[in-house]
Amino acid sequence: MNKSRKWLFRAGALLLLILVALLMLWIGRGHTVYFDNKTIEHQGVEYKPPYKVVVRVNGEQVAKLNARERGMATWIGQNFKMELEVTWEKKGEAVVRSFTQKLPYNMDGIVLNLPALLNDFPEEVYLSEFVPVATEAEEVEEEIITSEFELSDL
Amino acid sequence: MSTKNQTASFGAKLGRLARDNSVPIMFILICAVCIPLAGFSGGYLLNEIITRMGRNTFLILSLLIPIMAGMGLNFGMTLGAMAGEIALILTADWQIWGIPGVVLSMILSIPLSVGLGLLCGKILNMAKGREMVTSYIVSYFINGVYQLVVLYMMGSIIPIAHSSIKLPRGYGIRNTVSLLNMRQCIDNLWAIRVGGVKIPVLTFLIIALLCLVILWFRKTKLGQDMRAVGQDMNVARDAGVDVERTRIISIVISTVLAGFGMILYLQNMGNISTYSSHSQIGMFCIAALLVGGASVDKASIGNVFLGVSLFHLMFIVAPAAGAKITGDSMIGEYFRVFVSYGVITVALVMYETKKRRAKASLGRQLELEQKGADK
Repeated sequence: MNKSRKWLFRAGALLLLILVALLMLWIGRGHTVYFDNKTIEHQGVEYKPPYKVVVRVNGEQVAKLNARERGMATWIGQNFKMELEVTWEKKGEAVVRSFTQKLPYNMDGIVLNLPALLNDFPEEVYLSEFVPVATEAEEVEEEIITSEFELSDL
Repeated sequence: MSTKNQTASFGAKLGRLARDNSVPIMFILICAVCIPLAGFSGGYLLNEIITRMGRNTFLILSLLIPIMAGMGLNFGMTLGAMAGEIALILTADWQIWGIPGVVLSMILSIPLSVGLGLLCGKILNMAKGREMVTSYIVSYFINGVYQLVVLYMMGSIIPIAHSSIKLPRGYGIRNTVSLLNMRQCIDNLWAIRVGGVKIPVLTFLIIALLCLVILWFRKTKLGQDMRAVGQDMNVARDAGVDVERTRIISIVISTVLAGFGMILYLQNMGNISTYSSHSQIGMFCIAALLVGGASVDKASIGNVFLGVSLFHLMFIVAPAAGAKITGDSMIGEYFRVFVSYGVITVALVMYETKKRRAKASLGRQLELEQKGADK
């Protein structure tokens, strides 16, 4: 194999690795999606939450929310799909609706307000970023342990 | 007369077999004593062994290529493990989950592993004949650099966004990094259950693929060069093999594979002990390989599988057996630590003794030939 062909193969392999890495960065981005079944105010009007909402993701029930409750699900990728089984009134009939939501890449946690979503409001109304509040345990400075010879369970 | 000769030769063969496989035989005996004492069910033991085999085999396989190139047991595999850990920390911070996270970590670990492997290979070329102790010390040296990067540079120079990974002071990584969103993603994909025993099919397929690659690699030009270098460096050099380059490549391959192995290992565990995971890894992989009957200059894929089964069987049963005998499970813990380090020591001593005996017998043979020529 001559030298230029060899370098071409190497460059091709490197390029392939970079492309695969970029693809993984795109398809593997994980998000935590929170569902708020809470009252929302939009343009001065208050929208009440449904009596009960069952959230299914990938055919699996991830949350069963009464009014003023929050649920969550994890999702890999940007095209979030879910199915909502909504019961507006107590002893009322359940209505099933499917939603597909583009999740912003830069957000780890995303809050979806279900009443706003069900009332077909614009995205900026029903979607917001979840900002975690640091717990006390997270704030405590921890001692760094670097053990060298200990063989614990493997 | 011929029956007597046959019996004697059978006895000699048996003796040689026992001598050559003394370490695995010793471990089989230890396990045979400990298993009934521990009182675990067969299903539990099998489940544990299969889990640990999936977790560790890739890492141990990474040791085979430097042995082939005559560089002994590569304690420098720790370098690859550190590269894998750094890649995983970054992937965890970027929130890349599941199999894409594992694949991305593997890709990210490659340049780090190659760089560290090159450095290690160059240093080992300067310390020919003392590769093992040198690679052991190199791993300590790079551990210091790793701690500098992880403890001071991550968060300050290398951006780390998440407070669950970063220390509260604003830089440095916490003692434990959670890989919950990656946990067993490879092990669980295509996993099957046979009689209550979970078999991680994809993990075993990856391991099988690596075994095939190693077998194929032995037959390639580079593989043949490595074997030639492993047998005699001077003869290989005279035959036109670039000995130094071949040795460096073997260490680079081993380091890259160790990086991948560490990522597979940690995805199974589900968390990284940032400052200690890698320090244990080289030691237990080498111990497991030696338990499987490998030596400093000879190791096969069979040794890897036998070693990982026996070593981990001992790891599982020793604490329970220790607790049963002495009433204190810590005795079992001490016992397995003692055995792990002990088996490495015994293997190294046996290798050195064998080498000296061979040298002495060659000397005697030469002396006899010289005397014969003088007469």
